Amino acid sequence: MHVGLTDADLAPLIAEGDREAEAEMCRRMGPRIRLYGLRHLRSPSAADDLRQQVLMKIIEALRAGRLRERDKLAQFVLGTCRMTVLDLRRNAHRQDELLAMFGGDLVPDPPSMPRLDDSQLARCVQALKERERSVVVMTFYDEQTASETARFLGTSEANVRVIRHRAIRQLRACMGASS
Amino acid sequence: MDYWLGVLSSGAEESVEEHLMTCDACGNRLREVIALAESLRALAKSGSLQVVISDRLVKQATETGLRVREYAPALGESIQCTVAADDDLLVARLAADLTTASRVDLSWCGPGGVEVHRMADIPVRADAGDVICQQSITWAKASPTTSMVARLLAIDSNGERVLGEFTFHHTRTIPGPPGW
Repeated sequence: MHVGLTDADLAPLIAEGDREAEAEMCRRMGPRIRLYGLRHLRSPSAADDLRQQVLMKIIEALRAGRLRERDKLAQFVLGTCRMTVLDLRRNAHRQDELLAMFGGDLVPDPPSMPRLDDSQLARCVQALKERERSVVVMTFYDEQTASETARFLGTSEANVRVIRHRAIRQLRACMGASS
Repeated sequence: MDYWLGVLSSGAEESVEEHLMTCDACGNRLREVIALAESLRALAKSGSLQVVISDRLVKQATETGLRVREYAPALGESIQCTVAADDDLLVARLAADLTTASRVDLSWCGPGGVEVHRMADIPVRADAGDVICQQSITWAKASPTTSMVARLLAIDSNGERVLGEFTFHHTRTIPGPPGW
């Protein structure tokens, strides 16, 4: 029933105690928070943990009516994500212990990620030009920066980024993702 | 992909994140990017690609506990080589004077000297003094006993000239069929 409402419409409903609005907010924001966590924490379990912590903080704040501008819900969630990631990094060791103890019970199944055909990907990478393949391997092997890769290639960082863009575009086309 | 790799400026990253908090279509696209990036990471670490790599990457592999089998024949030298079941990476260091070449190809030839595969316009730095080529460990583990010649070739408007030639006599030590 709340599916058609905007994010801004949900905030005052949650403040009024509407549990369905809370559930809809969690359904929308949960995957977005998890993506933020994957990018910044580089771990699916840490991203799940982030999602849970942020949603709890958001619900608590919305129930208490602490979101003054209701059309700023997304920014509020993003800001909470940033603060929570900083906290998680500070308390990483303690978080790991807690997750090891309770993680299995608390963390729901994560949203499914697309699956790629690894053999096809290997063929696509092998079909790249030599320079492009080297850049791809060095970028993803241990996330070497454009500056480190540029030093190896004897070229500019800008050129490395161009080569990487071209290679990724070709790989996506080769894997059928461009469609 | 730039967002996932963390190479955007802080302002651009902030804009992307604000958008991702409101757009599930772009979130789904990011999931595709993550899947591609993670698969590429696994592939790069698998050692199964034939690719020119940096010395830093070889050191990084060794430091992280991978078993790197490395051969560094001198210019014109023939060497005996093999690969074991628990090797993770197979690397050839081909030393040559690269200072006079504007483009370098790496030609892999069979025992009769006939080219079977060419890596065209490989990434080299003129002052590097060598080319580090990762050979596919998957291929090497399955390969029967055979010989391969690696030729570094300088390519220019006058044609090609040999910068260095290296012969690898591979002896199979992992059980398998005698030929391909």
